[in-house]
Amino acid sequence: MTTHPLEGVAASRPRVRRSPIARRRELMAWCFLLPAIALLAVFTLVPFVQAIVLSFQQWDGVSTSTPFVGLSNYRFVLHDTVFWSSLRNVLIFGVVGFVLGNAISLGMAVAVNRVRRGKAFFRTAFYLPGVFSVVVIGMMFSWLLAPNAGILNRLLGAVGASGLQHNWLEDPGTALPTVAAVFLWYHWGFGFILYLAGLQDVPVELYEAASLDGARGWAKFRYVTWPELLPVTAIVSLLTLLGALQVFGTVQVLTNGGPGNHTMVPTLRIYQEAFTNQRFGSAAAMSVIFGGALVLLAMLQLWLSRRRK
Amino acid sequence: MKRLAGRGGLYGLLVVAAVGALFPMVWLLIGSLQTSSELYRGKDLLPAKPQWSNYVTAWTDGDLGTYLPNSAIYTVSAVAGILLVSSMAGYVLARIEFRGKSAVTFGLLAVMIIPAPAAFIAQYKLMVTLGLTNSRIGYVLILISAGIPISTLIMRGFFANLPKDLEEAAAIDGSSALNTFARVILPLARPGLIAVAVIQGLSVWNEYLLALVLFDDDTLMPVQRGLMNFVSAETPVQNILLAATAISVLPVVVFYVFAQRQVVQGISSGAVK
Repeated sequence: MTTHPLEGVAASRPRVRRSPIARRRELMAWCFLLPAIALLAVFTLVPFVQAIVLSFQQWDGVSTSTPFVGLSNYRFVLHDTVFWSSLRNVLIFGVVGFVLGNAISLGMAVAVNRVRRGKAFFRTAFYLPGVFSVVVIGMMFSWLLAPNAGILNRLLGAVGASGLQHNWLEDPGTALPTVAAVFLWYHWGFGFILYLAGLQDVPVELYEAASLDGARGWAKFRYVTWPELLPVTAIVSLLTLLGALQVFGTVQVLTNGGPGNHTMVPTLRIYQEAFTNQRFGSAAAMSVIFGGALVLLAMLQLWLSRRRK
Repeated sequence: MKRLAGRGGLYGLLVVAAVGALFPMVWLLIGSLQTSSELYRGKDLLPAKPQWSNYVTAWTDGDLGTYLPNSAIYTVSAVAGILLVSSMAGYVLARIEFRGKSAVTFGLLAVMIIPAPAAFIAQYKLMVTLGLTNSRIGYVLILISAGIPISTLIMRGFFANLPKDLEEAAAIDGSSALNTFARVILPLARPGLIAVAVIQGLSVWNEYLLALVLFDDDTLMPVQRGLMNFVSAETPVQNILLAATAISVLPVVVFYVFAQRQVVQGISSGAVK
């Protein structure tokens, strides 16, 4: 295949006439895109549409017949109190991730950005938990939080606070906050890395100018760092919020939704409805309701962050 | 003086946080080396005599000789697929003008918004229909498709920053588009490819939900799924479980320590830019 030497130039400006070369380039473009489009279509888009169709059908997970049942799956879900309370639980995860996670990530990034020595070590250490799998996190913390042999209770006993000792994951009162705390421990490193990258992109001149104007510590943060980081904040907020709302593995491994559904979250509920109760139709209805809410939330957040700019 | 105290406080805070981040891992390792009576007595901080045999037991009882190679197969093939597909798509989106380009870009962003909870039930149904449950190929194809959108966007960013002269020079020399892409462009985009490989490698290695849904054949499970199998199968002996968990994280930790620069770069360039 011979290519015209000026092709690169020609391609960069709007064309009126379509030359054979341009058409050939266009064909090549679609050939290069084809694998990506095909895979996404088959394994992501089709299932997304199928989930909506399935929510109006009945399916036991095995048989080939999936009769339409109208809205009855949705009526069923409407009365599933566990699903609705799982939505409330996951909102707590969302708020914890959004507020605390964001604050810790940002605070630690600012702190690490200020030290001269050991930056690489702290950066590596703080993100380390983020590279583990949910199964590993679950195993680790089941062990740390175990009622008797667990180090947390032992430490509490050692410092004379045995009154605070607890069966952290099985007491209905503490289960949800405990799982949320583990989730926070697991996930704050992600936002931390993003903030740290953002901090490194803040122009030094801005700080110098602020110093000349007499700004110090907090004022510098308030008037230079914070505004410069706003785009990063928008992304970290969106990703941590969506990540928290979709939590599955951490909860499944630590408590499996218990005790008495006190730590149930929607993704786990959807999973159980399908694979434990063999009601794939109503599981699909749940996923449509929940997934739709997530999509709306993501779009709302994107719209808000656009508008702020 | 006040500054010095401030600096000390800063380091104090960071060290405390670092201990908090690393301690659970260290504690897991300690537990994995104790005997089970030490473990349940819960008095000693360190094992009297490290029980390395726990690791041998964990390896055999936990079938790690099956699960770890499975994970390696899935990770290598899914990452290879993601790199190939998303570098091709990213290149086109960064460099070539064609009708429908903005629609494709918008489509990629839209697909990224689709949340996993809205799709995994139907993905399972699709795999049942295609006869791809308990199939290595089915699992890898889903993993590749899940990795495409973000990887394509990262690669597009990398290609857009490459100088155009080289392609033009190659074109003048009579190199075909495909040849130019493979010989000139891809080697230049190596930092981007590495970043994508590292991030996707970690996420594929750690994937759990789909493996849970798609596999019930023991011999095909990746390590995360296999580990959970081990946990829930018999009344587990805690120290053996801890040893199995430690073995399963070892590859990730080693990988992360060596590749952490790329992990950080990849995450920040992937999400922020």
